Formats: sequence, structure tokens, C-alpha cells
Amino acid sequence: MLEIRGHARGGQGMVTAFEILAKIFSKLDNFQVQAFPAFGVERTGAPIQAFLRVAKKEILNRSNIYHPHLVVVFDESLLDQVPVFDGLEEGGAVLINTERPASSLAIPGKTAYTVPATRISLELGLGSKSLPIINAAMIGALARIFEVSLELVQEAIRANVPAKPEANMEAAARALRSVSGANGRNPFLIESLHAQPEKENRKVEDLSFDIPAEINGMEAPYWSAPLSNNKTGNWRLITPSYEERPAPCNSSCPAGTDVRGFVRLTSEQQFDKALELISRHNPFPSICGRVCPNFCEQNCNRNELDRGLNIGAIERFLGDRALDAKVEPAPVRHKERIAVIGSGPAGLTAGLRLCEKGYAVTVFEALPQAGGMMRAGIPRFRLPDEVLGQEIRRIEQRGVKIVLNKKVNVEELASSFDIVIAATGSHVGSPLRIDGEEFARDGLNFLREFKLDHDADGLHQGQEVAIIGGGNTAIDVARTVLRLGAMPTIYYRRTIKEMPAIAQEVKEALLEGVKIEFLVAPIALAPAGPAKVALTLTQMEMGEPDESGRRRPIPVSGSERTILADRVIKAIGQRSDLFALGQQPVEPQQGYIELESGTSVFCAGDMAWGGTVTEAIGSGNKVAEEVHAYLRGKPYHEQETLPEIVLPKDINYAYYLPMPRHYNKLHHPKSLTGDFTEVTRGMDEQEVIAETSRCLHCGECFNCGNCYNFCPDAAIHVDEEGRLRIDYDYCKGCGICVQECPCSAMQFQLTEAVS
Amino acid sequence: MKPALEFLIKDEKVYSGALSCRGCGWSLLVRHLASILGENTVYVAPASCFSIISGPYPLRELQANLVHTVFAAAPATATGVRAALDRQGKKDTTVVILAGDGGTFDIGLQALSGAAARNENLLYIVNNNGAYMNTGIQTSTATPYGAVTTTNPGKGFKRAWPKDLMGIVAAHNMPYAATASLAFLEDLRRKVEKAKNTQGFRLLMIDGPCPPGHKTDPAESIHIGRMAVETRLFPLFEMERQHYTINYRPEKYIPVEECMKYQGRFKHLFAPENKYMIDEVQAHTDQYWVRLEALEEM
Amino acid sequence: MKKENSQNGITLEAPFQDPPRYPRHVQVVMKGNYAAAEAARLCRAGFIPAYPITPQTTIVERLSEMVAEGKLDATYINMDSEHSVFAAAMGAAIGGERVFTATAGNGLFYAHEVLQAIAHFRLPMVMCNVGRPSIPWNIWSDQSDSLSQRDTGWIQLYGESSQEVLDTIIQAYVLTEKLQIPVMVVLDAFYQSHTSENVWLPDQNLVDRFLPPIQPGPMSIDLKQPKSFGGLMPPEHYNRLNYSYWKTVNQTEALSGKIAADFGAHFGRMYDNVEAVNIGSHTRLVLVTLSSITSTARGVIRDYPEIGLLKLRLFKPFPKEAVKKALAPLSKDAAIAIVERNFLGDNEGAIMQEMKRALYGSHYKMYDFFAGLGGKDVPPETIEKIIHRAFHQPEAVNWIDVG
Repeated sequence: MLEIRGHARGGQGMVTAFEILAKIFSKLDNFQVQAFPAFGVERTGAPIQAFLRVAKKEILNRSNIYHPHLVVVFDESLLDQVPVFDGLEEGGAVLINTERPASSLAIPGKTAYTVPATRISLELGLGSKSLPIINAAMIGALARIFEVSLELVQEAIRANVPAKPEANMEAAARALRSVSGANGRNPFLIESLHAQPEKENRKVEDLSFDIPAEINGMEAPYWSAPLSNNKTGNWRLITPSYEERPAPCNSSCPAGTDVRGFVRLTSEQQFDKALELISRHNPFPSICGRVCPNFCEQNCNRNELDRGLNIGAIERFLGDRALDAKVEPAPVRHKERIAVIGSGPAGLTAGLRLCEKGYAVTVFEALPQAGGMMRAGIPRFRLPDEVLGQEIRRIEQRGVKIVLNKKVNVEELASSFDIVIAATGSHVGSPLRIDGEEFARDGLNFLREFKLDHDADGLHQGQEVAIIGGGNTAIDVARTVLRLGAMPTIYYRRTIKEMPAIAQEVKEALLEGVKIEFLVAPIALAPAGPAKVALTLTQMEMGEPDESGRRRPIPVSGSERTILADRVIKAIGQRSDLFALGQQPVEPQQGYIELESGTSVFCAGDMAWGGTVTEAIGSGNKVAEEVHAYLRGKPYHEQETLPEIVLPKDINYAYYLPMPRHYNKLHHPKSLTGDFTEVTRGMDEQEVIAETSRCLHCGECFNCGNCYNFCPDAAIHVDEEGRLRIDYDYCKGCGICVQECPCSAMQFQLTEAVS
Repeated sequence: MKPALEFLIKDEKVYSGALSCRGCGWSLLVRHLASILGENTVYVAPASCFSIISGPYPLRELQANLVHTVFAAAPATATGVRAALDRQGKKDTTVVILAGDGGTFDIGLQALSGAAARNENLLYIVNNNGAYMNTGIQTSTATPYGAVTTTNPGKGFKRAWPKDLMGIVAAHNMPYAATASLAFLEDLRRKVEKAKNTQGFRLLMIDGPCPPGHKTDPAESIHIGRMAVETRLFPLFEMERQHYTINYRPEKYIPVEECMKYQGRFKHLFAPENKYMIDEVQAHTDQYWVRLEALEEM
Repeated sequence: MKKENSQNGITLEAPFQDPPRYPRHVQVVMKGNYAAAEAARLCRAGFIPAYPITPQTTIVERLSEMVAEGKLDATYINMDSEHSVFAAAMGAAIGGERVFTATAGNGLFYAHEVLQAIAHFRLPMVMCNVGRPSIPWNIWSDQSDSLSQRDTGWIQLYGESSQEVLDTIIQAYVLTEKLQIPVMVVLDAFYQSHTSENVWLPDQNLVDRFLPPIQPGPMSIDLKQPKSFGGLMPPEHYNRLNYSYWKTVNQTEALSGKIAADFGAHFGRMYDNVEAVNIGSHTRLVLVTLSSITSTARGVIRDYPEIGLLKLRLFKPFPKEAVKKALAPLSKDAAIAIVERNFLGDNEGAIMQEMKRALYGSHYKMYDFFAGLGGKDVPPETIEKIIHRAFHQPEAVNWIDVG
């Protein structure tokens, strides 16, 4: 008679497996069989036992199996928790569900077999990750050990498994082929199967009838030992843990700002720390808080609920608090000298970072004032001069030397500097490529001359200005024109949805009285009379999407019309002036570029990529690292791809109430003429803190306590430092904490991965 | 960081190690109850999963006295316990019955009705998971319309409507009765507090998640509970004598299938030929809500 | 066989006894049910869950009066069924109160599940059962109800008279609180329950001195030291529990005898676990009886010097030693006739089953007589018939007055 004892967890299907095995043996050769569970009260996941007897003659024993010939272990983790090998016969065998090869399980005097039943079952979609149902695979493995044909096994599975019979049959087949250790045939098992021992396996060790003395007192059914003696942690197949994940605001910030971090610090009123955190990546918080298109807010998971956080206002608040802060110069520690061409956000950021790393840095600026596009391209009513001035001052105080009015190229600098960084931005307007192009003024040029030289191009009250384009430059030009008393109209060939300008800016422009005509494109310009320009426009309609994903505008034939304007200003894009690279034939790109001349040049900012201040800052940060690595002879590694960013699908919105976004107040006088006051006002401390309370804390535990409050097993507690901790002695791995974590700061792993 | 003190349970009054399945409602419910009711409480439990969960010899989950009793008569045993405590002047104690739906809707209904009609000073908690789960998912009169159980298997799924326990309870003119959900813990805890501080017979019916019985992912236990409330399948309301108050009004109208779709016991209802039954559940749910609102108006 | 004088000088017609008088008692005439209620009052029962059922109802009615009138300081609750009555009794007993209740027939059958639970919870309490059968409806005297519950773990005592019922209830509280095993005191429907007779009511302080206030037992709720009561008990522990029960229940016969002796010394009335009347070497036939039939049998055997009587008072656990001792003087050819007012669906009645168990291996001829089922009267003539049959080709099992 063969006796098999199985050890599994409730729900893995062992009892069914043993019953099916009994049926298989009975078919095999008219064996007498007996399969039964040790019926316990424990639940899904708890260790359980089952027994199987197979004999040629009648089975005269209806008790549990204490001396099995074969022990079958359905869950490897039971090996440490249950004495599975107790009483295993000399010469007997074990079959364990594990990825490990049988050879790794040397058990003296016993044969070891293993089978990766969990993997096989999961591959075939049997059960869930938290509870794979592996009975068919285990039957397959046992069939291999007892040399039972696959056909017989599959027939039995088909007849006895109601759900997914095909997948279960396949699981048995795969398992049968995947048994490790099966080459070592165990004759003892086969022998036991066929032999009827003269005497059954009976080992009476205790012949006494003694009753322990302590039972002589009154025994009544009451008790009081704490249930915590019962460590339910060993039921767990999947393990939750606290694990920070990147927030979309952080991940989408081109400068690399820890947005979630500074928002949290702000909510805790730790404003200095918050600013310090921003400054690690961004030396221009006051500027970015004003002019950044707020990639963070655009990607804020709160958009799913109501509106993203007004992060710009928070950043601006923090930056403005420290505008006049004193800065200590950074000591120079390295001998290498570094030149930066261009004092825009990329150049200044790169300069600052390298200065902080101990390099002597000189920034060369062609214009009479530093700041690049921040200075020349962004109107005062969006970015006041003093804000820009203070943020640049801090960089200078730190030790970055800025030389103004000096247009240089790399070759000129190559002899005096070890490294040259080219960050000249993109200040050249793109052409319209239509007849009469020369009658249109360039928008960037207009903005620059107005800002630096107060040259308003003679514009005055009542004049009509046609502006062609849909980006920020077009909007800035229009709003400037408006403030000069003229009447601007923007002509844009797509619709408002496709407008690349910052939506808020568009909104403000419309509010101020800028007219925008959509779906119109210029086809020709011509002089009209002494001072006017005739602009011929065509109506457009939206066609199929182009490679950028935007729908391509197509002219509507016969829709041409001509209007007269006092000025036509084009603002349809810009490109870089490659003068700094000595007009060498090279495509500017981020980091080191090879010039024919052999000069060590690095590129950053708009000329490499991007187009916003924040992107330029990110580019500057990056180029500083590249240069530093280059100079120190170390390899430069791009920051590794971040693990999964928290997306709306990961957020449990049930735990967030809608809360209206705080909007910046706007300066909106009756007449704008001559009024260059900053339009967007900052928020006060109260508003800022209220706004931070809207943060979802994506990917970062904020001690909401959901995991603790919802844990059915009282397996989460607060440690001495006030942090939430999982007590793995009791955690059964139900996953409620992970599911109910509002902000996706908890994750699941297979239990083996957690030590 | 919020201090840990703001968490709902300040003082854990249960021991870990409960013998409940993963994602079980019983243990979570008992954690919260115990943390509110404290040690001066005697729990009385008829047969249910909780008989097992709360610890076999020699272990106990609750840090308070727990009397296990026969299936059909927990409110009667509790009556005796209450009487004994009262006779001994231990008035600051709470006697609480922890029963499942089988022990309440079916076999225990008479004893429940008796105790309610006598207005015994007892708190009755029914963890309604809609079937006899302890014995392996058999139909009770709380089992939802259309659900599959082992005694309404396959195509024989349940075609009778569950009892309206709260309606039966209301007919006893009790001082306090309410429904509560583990997905709405603040509401649940407020009701337990209120029940604790009310004299006479009080009953709380909890929507009890049961992953093996409902064929759900244990991790979804709370989410499904929330959806049951949001779809109005399990409205949150309370009754003081004959006065009804709806405690939660879902903002949006969410169809019942948004809750049912997570539960394997309703899977067959999504087959085209059975879809009409979901409509019936929807109509029934809508009607119940209309009635509740009308009762609240009264 | 008729009333002949014995040759060996045994007094044939013993003189009728003068009724005794008891100091610190008052004599009243009352029904057996009221005597039971008075006993509960004298024992200061603190918790009385109640549910009416004929012929027990007047017990709980009387108790409700006592509580309403302030004569008894008890919590009296009208429950919804006997099942709930006993479940409530269980709760109050765990709460540490002295519990009393009463039921009959269907009520007892309905409570069967809870009887098991109370006994295996090891809870002290006393209940009074007024014997009657079930459906088809019959409300009259029959012991099938209590005797069918003999395996629930309760101790069973049967009283012959209202006085004995009252006295036995007092003793039963001492017994139950010592052993932590519940006790059922049984009386017959109508022939006892509704029969008014002389009863000596002891003074309260006399009872108080015999029965001290109840003390918390191991199964009592202690708010300071919380416990779980009666949850899941795995096999190995369940064995231990039963072993302890077995050890305790084995003490019943001796303890019950001692309490009866103490009671005799205290109150002046003596009952033993069994009572042997005229059992000696000359005795040719012994009638075995329970409850009220005993009195009638006593009357009949006055005329038969060679006939004795064995009254069983303690029935569960069966007083094997007392029975053996009582019958020891019998000669080899003596016979035993058992009067069964119960039918449990087997060939023999419950008393025969127990007697055979007690007398296993003995030489006695034993005959079983079903008599008085469902309230069928058992007058002296029926006893005479039994005696006659016992001497003239008796069957192993005999039915009297059928048809």
C-alpha cells in the first residue's frame, strides 16, 4: 500500500488534486484508493493537509497518514513553517512545487522531485497571483513520478475539473515534462504501490494510558491566550510594502524639480526648505512660477478630479519670498576654466551649477543685459525686470561672471577656456515663405527692441496690427501692441485647441481685447498705400493629423480675402543663430558636440532642445553634469529611466474630495494703454497653503492611515518614529492596503521577494 | 505628516492572528467595534465565521469577554448576560451580539425579534455577507437576487429576493437601527458610538465583504463595499424609532452592475439571456431608494 | 398471594405514619407546581427566563407573581421560546447568576440543543420539568420527555411528592453549584403538578443557611480578566474537556447522597438517591418506580409482605451503587418489575435499560411494564395487575391496560 501525504495552503486545490489522483489510480489498474483531507477550520492561505492511500487489496485504515512514502508540498514556503517531512519513510520521496532544481534539495535517504507548478499555472491563467491554483500541475508531476500516461491524467482532469479544463490539461502536460529529479526513478514508491505489506505501517510508541496530572482539575471550555500566538503571516503569498513612486509633476518637470516635495514642505509651512528643494534644480523659481507653462500642473493627477494644482503660484510665492536673499560665493576648487555663450536660462543654469562644483565660469552675452529670452522675449507685464534682475543677481553673487555686449564664437574662446558651452537660444524668427515676406516684421525682433530699446516701432493709438502665428510670441506681441494703444488681431491657421501658446496667456489676451481669428493663413503680403500692408488670407479647414499628431490645416479654395493693416508681425516660430559655433556645419544637440575645429564644445538650451525657460534650465543642469563628468574623466550617465510614474489609474479618487483650484488674481484695468504692470498677481500665504492641501501626494505616503484603518488583520502599526509599518508576522497579503492607498505609495510583490 | 493619532483606531482592542480569509469583513469590523466598545463589553456570538475567526482553543482575538452560543438564540443568551450584569450593578457595560446573516435573517430571527420586542438593552451587529459562508457559501434569506451559492448553483442561481431585515427591524419600533459599510468607516464608527450610547435594543447591519463567497479579489473588498453604497445597492441610513435618516446620498447615479461586475457570484447575470435580471435588481434598488426617501420625509 | 401473614414475623400492615411536623416551617396545602415555584423563591433564584407550556405554566406564572409582588428579587423575562429560555439561562449563568426555569414536553424537546450546550459549558442551574409527551398532542403525565434527555449531560432527580420536589430543588442548587453541572428536577403532570397537598415550607433563613449565595465559577464572566467561552475546541482538547466532565459526573451519586443526608440533618426530611422499601431476603418481587407512581405502589405493597419497592430519585447519572446496595439482600429467585411511564422507541423502557446496565451480570429476573403512558392513570389496580403478571408467566416486556 502506498501512502501519500500532501501539504498545501487552503485554496490551492490540493484536496481536489488528491481526489482526482485517487480516480486516476483506480482507473490505472483497479487500485483501491482512499483520499481525504485533514479537515481544519483555517481559511484560504492557511496550511492544510491531505492524504491518499493506494493499494492492490482492501485498505483497512481510515486514519491520518503519519508515515508516508511520499510527501507532496504544494507551496515551498511551507517548508519553513510546517514539519512536512515528519515520519517520511526511509527510501521515500518528496515532490515540491518550486523553481529550484531537485538537486538543490538533498534529503538523505530520500528522493527529491521538484516541479515549477506555480509558474506553469500562472502562465496558463489558473487562479490568481495571490492564489495560483496548481492542482492540475501537481497531478501532472505525480503522474510523471508514478509513470502514469498523460492521456489518462488528462482524461481524469477533463472529467473532474469544471473550470478551464483545457488550461488545466495543458498544465498537467507541462508539469509532467518539467519534473526535476525524475530521472532518478524511485523503485520504493512503485514497489509500495504494488506490494501489500504483511503488516501495515504501524508504529506504536506510546503504550501508556497515563493522563497528565494537570488535567485532574476542572476543565471548562473557556480560554484567554492572545490570538497573536497565531502567526497568520505564513498564509501570505503576495506581500505589500511601502514604496515611493515618482509623481507625474516631478517626472514632467523639464528642470527636474521635486514638485511633490516642495508642495509638501510648503503645506507644512517650511518655506525655506521648500525653496531650498526647488533651488537644487532650478535657480529661477520666481521666473518659472510666472512664465513656465507648468508641465507639472498639466500632468497633475488632480486634473482627473477637478483641476491640477496651481503649482506655478506656489513656486512663485516661494521664489518671491527670497528674491533679495544674500548668496555666498562658491569657492573655486578646480583649475579648469569654463566659458558659457549666452546668458539665458540654460547658460546661467549651467554656469551656476559648474560654479557650485568649483569651476570658474564666465558667461558671455551679446546683448546689453543678461537673461536671454527671459530678458529680450518676455514682456514686462509677464515678467517684471526686477524679478529677473534679482534671480540673475543671485547667480552672479554665487560667483558666475557675466560679460555683456560681447558676441563671441567658440573658436575665439577656445584658447582661454578649457570648455565652452554654447547656449545661445533661438532668437531668429522663422520665415513665412510667402510672397511679400519682407513686409512683415519679425515678432521676436519687435519684442526685443521694445524691451531693450523702448522702440515701439512707431505704433500708436488706433492702428491695426495683424499678427501671424499661435505661439507665445504671437500672444506676447499682441498684448504688447495692445498696451501701445494699437488694435492687434492674431491670425492662426488652426483652432484654439491646437494653439501652442500657454492657455492661460491666451485666455488673458482675449480678456484684454486681443482679437484672434482661427483657421486663417496668410498667402501673400503686399504694400498698400504709403503706410499700410495688404494681407491676403485664406480660410483653412482641419484635415487628417500630421506627424506631430495635430490635425493638418488645409486651405479652403476660393476663400481668399485681403485685409489692410498698419503692421503685419509674424511670429510663427524661431530658430537658433549658429554664429556662436563659428558657422561650422554641425547640428546643435544636448551635450558634447564635435566640431571640425576640434574645440571641446557643449550645447544646451533652445539651440539643443526645448523652447521654454524650464526646459532650458533642465538642459543647463544636464550640460553642467556632462561637462563635469568630461573634465573629471568620468563617464556621464543619463539619469536612469524612472520606475512607473503614478498615473490617474493608480490613484484612488474615492479618498479625495473636489476642492476648487485657487487662481491667481489678475491686474485688469479699464484701459491697458501704457500699462505694463504685471498682469498675474501672486497668491498670499493663506491661499498658497490652501492650494498645497489639494495635492494628491502621488506615490508618496502622507500618513492618511487608510492602510492602517482598513487592515482586517491588525497587521499595520505605527513605529516609534511615527511611520506606518507592516507587521509581516500577521499580514495575510489580502492587498486591501495597496488597493485603498489613495496615492499609490504601496506596492505588491510576490512573497519570496521580501525577506 | 499627520500624526498617527489621527488614525481611526487609537487603541487596538483585538489581537492579530485572526483566522479569517484574506480580505474578510469580519476581522476589520471587529477591530473597529472593539476599539470603540472597549474592554467593558461582553460579546455574544452565535455560529458564524466569527466563531472560527475569533480564535480556537486556547486563543482569543477580542480583548473582552466573548460568549459563544447556539446558532438560533444569540439575542437570548445576550439577554441573560445583560440581566446578570445589571443585577450585579455593572451598568457601564455593553452586551453585543455578533451574528452573521444566517444567524439573523434565518435561524436566529425569532430570538432577534423577541429581544427587539422586549427592547432588551443589547447591541446587535449583523455582518451581512449574504450567505452561509462558514459552512461553505449556502443560500440564506439574505442572499441577493441572482446570486450563485453552493445550494443555488449554476443555472439554479437564486431567484428569490432577500429579506428586508431593516424593514423587519423597523417594525419593532426600536430606539436605534442603522446600516453601515466598512468602506465608510467614519460613518460606521459614528453609528457604533451612537448605538453604544443608546439604551434599549439597537441593531447595525454591516455590508460584509467575503472574497471566497462573493468570488471577489480580496484586495477589492473595500472598493466593492464602496460601490455597493454608491450604486445604492446598500444604502446607508439609520432609524430612530420611526424616524429615518439617509446618511449618504451618492452624487451620481451609478448603475448596480458597476458593483455587481466585480463579483463572481453575479457573473452569469451578465450573459445576454440573464441581463434582464440586472434590470430587475436595478428597478428593485431604485424602488427601495424611493421608499427610503419617502420614509425619511415622513 | 393475597395478604397472607408472613411466617418470619415481618409486620404486615405497618401502621400508617402520623404526619411529621417540622419546626421553622409552615404547613400549607399547595400544588406541586407552586411548591416548585416556592423552592425557586426560597433558593433566591436571580434570573428566571420563562415561556408557558402546559402543564408547567403555573410554575412560571407563580414566579412572575412573586417577582411582581416583590417577594422574589429576580429578573424575570418572558422569552420567545424554550430554546431562547435556555439560551438566556445560559447567558445569565455565565454572568454568574443563580438561574431557575421550568418547562415540559415539547419545550424540553425544543431546548434539547441548548441543554447540551449548558451542560458542556459546565454551567450551574436548576430547571423543573413537568413530564408530558409531544405530538400527537398530549399534555398528560409521561416521562418520555425528560428520560429522552438523559444524555444531554444534565443530572436528573425525580420527586415523588410536592414536598419532595420542593426539597429536591433546594438540594439540586447545592449539587449544581458544587459540580458545575446543571440539574433537572422532574415531577409528573397533574398527579403532582396540579395536585394540592400538604407541603411544609421551610423558613427562608433555614434555607439560606443550607444554600449559601452563588459564587463565581470558572465559567463566570470576569470583566477584569476577559475570556472566550465555548469557542472552537480542536479534537485533542475536546477529549480533555470530556475527561474532566466524566471525572466530575462520577462524583454525583456520592455527593448527591451526602447532600441528601445534610438536608435530612438540617430540615428533618431525608431522601436518598434511591429508596428501598421492604427489600430483604424474603422479598420475592421488587417494583421499580419513579415519581408519583411510587406513592401508589407504596400503598399497594403494604398488602404484600413479599413485595418490595425501589424508588429511584436520582436517575442521571444512574445511581448504580445505590441500586446494587438496595437490591443486595434479595434472594436468588427474586424478580424485579419495572414500571415505565415512558416509551423511547425501543423494546425496553428507559428505566429497564438503566437497571440492566447497573445490574449487569446479576441473577435477577427482570420484567418491564409499560404503564401510564400519555397520562393513562396508574391506579392501585394497575399495580396489582403488574404484580400479578410478574408472578404469572411474565414476558420480558409487558404492556398494561392496552386496548
